[in-house]
Amino acid sequence: MSSSQTRQVQVLDNILKANDYLARRLRQDWTRQGTFVINLLSSPGSGKTTLLEATLPQLKERYRVGVLEGDLETERDARRIRAQGVPVIQITTGGTCHLESHMIEQAWQQLAQDGPFDILFIENVGNLVCPASYDLGEHLRAVLLSVPEGDDKPAKYPKAFRGSQACLITKCDLLDYFDFDLDEAMRLARDLRPDLKIFLTSARSGQGIDEWMAYLEERRLVVPAQV
Amino acid sequence: MHELSIMQDLFRQLEGLANEHGARRVLSLEVEVGEFSNVVPELLQQAFLAFRQAEPLLSGASLHIRSLSLRLRCRGCGHEFSPPRLAFRCVRCGAGRVETLQGEELLLRNVELEVPQAQEVAS
Repeated sequence: MSSSQTRQVQVLDNILKANDYLARRLRQDWTRQGTFVINLLSSPGSGKTTLLEATLPQLKERYRVGVLEGDLETERDARRIRAQGVPVIQITTGGTCHLESHMIEQAWQQLAQDGPFDILFIENVGNLVCPASYDLGEHLRAVLLSVPEGDDKPAKYPKAFRGSQACLITKCDLLDYFDFDLDEAMRLARDLRPDLKIFLTSARSGQGIDEWMAYLEERRLVVPAQV
Repeated sequence: MHELSIMQDLFRQLEGLANEHGARRVLSLEVEVGEFSNVVPELLQQAFLAFRQAEPLLSGASLHIRSLSLRLRCRGCGHEFSPPRLAFRCVRCGAGRVETLQGEELLLRNVELEVPQAQEVAS
């Protein structure tokens, strides 16, 4: 019979260090290649794919654009993007409620065969909680909040707003039909991130879409500073 | 609900540590979870129990979670405070540039391992 002893080990390691390490490597690679990467976060149905559909026709005239689509199941969103003539890879997580950097690395290897790219959009799984914990190597994180969801979402899902540099309030053409207090939503969002850049948009009317694209172009130019 | 994914990452770390030390079992572990870490301690504890049932390495192990409250420091006036409500603004001067001192942790702090007794070397 073998005896055993107890050993105490001090670790002090971030539990998500494997994800974060790979995310940093991806960010370095993209920065070197001149690919500006945007991670889009929101609840299901806030209009991430619709926003892409509203911007891709113009962006693809000037830039080489690619998209990684995250969903639990189905190729539906990828089909919508493909219809725009933009290279896209669908990542189906099979139940995982967020994307992680190893999923991105795999899908990127596939997508890169159609590259190089100036701009890469990552459409995260629709969920305002879990995706906020995972760095995917992006240069810009943008959170979408649609008018029908209600103005209290920043307070309920603070990490998604704290961790994003930009916020798009989408479906603003519906403001007249919902009790959505725009000032309150912006105040709550800026409580979490005072320098948050906020866009009021509607893919249907075109409101704010040019401003959003101009912001992307501006941010793209400062990417080399982020290595 | 990404606590199962986080538990998966944590388990890989524990496996690595057990290999490194030649351990047979993890007896206990201490994890720090910040109030603003996006992780619910109760759900992490449940995920741990699910892993413990499936993984012999964790058989009988206990998870101790230390919750850490949010502490901020103003980059303008240097004031350190616990925000009375979730707002990243200085409660003294109102500036919006604050840094987090504590409360965003998701950290494996300590592990207690069961390792085989070293053989005594005959003199």
